[in-house]
Amino acid sequence: MKKILCFCGSGLGSSFMLEMNIKEALQKLNNSEYTVEHSTIDDVLDGAADIFVCTHDLVRNAENKGGKVIGINNIMSKDEILEKIKKAIEE
Amino acid sequence: MNSLFEKDHIKIKVSVSDYEDAIKKVGQILVDTNSIKENYIQSMIDAIKELGPYIVMAPGFALAHARPSEDVLKDDVSIITLKEPVCFNSINDPVYVIMCLAAKDSNSHIDLMQKIATILMKGDTIENLKKVNSVEDVQKIFEI
Repeated sequence: MKKILCFCGSGLGSSFMLEMNIKEALQKLNNSEYTVEHSTIDDVLDGAADIFVCTHDLVRNAENKGGKVIGINNIMSKDEILEKIKKAIEE
Repeated sequence: MNSLFEKDHIKIKVSVSDYEDAIKKVGQILVDTNSIKENYIQSMIDAIKELGPYIVMAPGFALAHARPSEDVLKDDVSIITLKEPVCFNSINDPVYVIMCLAAKDSNSHIDLMQKIATILMKGDTIENLKKVNSVEDVQKIFEI
């Protein structure tokens, strides 16, 4: 299984909401290749995930960690998340 | 009516001078309900100074929070709407609605957060929160 790691500063708020929406997006895309987890910025380590997802202000924290990085502007927007996840898994 | 927010956890049309003041005011509600210690408010402000305004997670909306710590006495949430919006230097500025989340650990709040997130993601919730005229209006938006 490949892994998507959603992260934020505390591992409580945006990372959790991202996980909810990404799981929904993967279902819509009929994709069962990925597991989705949420955590804090401390777990954003080299090779920790195939795709890192966070709010756009945190993107730089996941650069050069061996995975793709997706920054989300509006985490309540299922459309934005679906579009960006679709692009990342199809690349 | 059953709401995710109790009456004394909501304030509307609050006047604030800047984003720090806004976080102090939404946090103070949870100090007053004995859910957090005052230190938690500073931790929320420090998190923004360290990592940027990532808590402004959707247009007009911020979820102020810090990590679980001994400053959290019980899992709880509060919410304020602002009289005049404030800026966090985020692409999602200006911010009209601020919620404060306190969690004792990384898992205990998940059930509550899932319920809140589901309502927030209904599409027009933030727009509706901007327009509320009473505490009851807020309770109604978060009715369960």
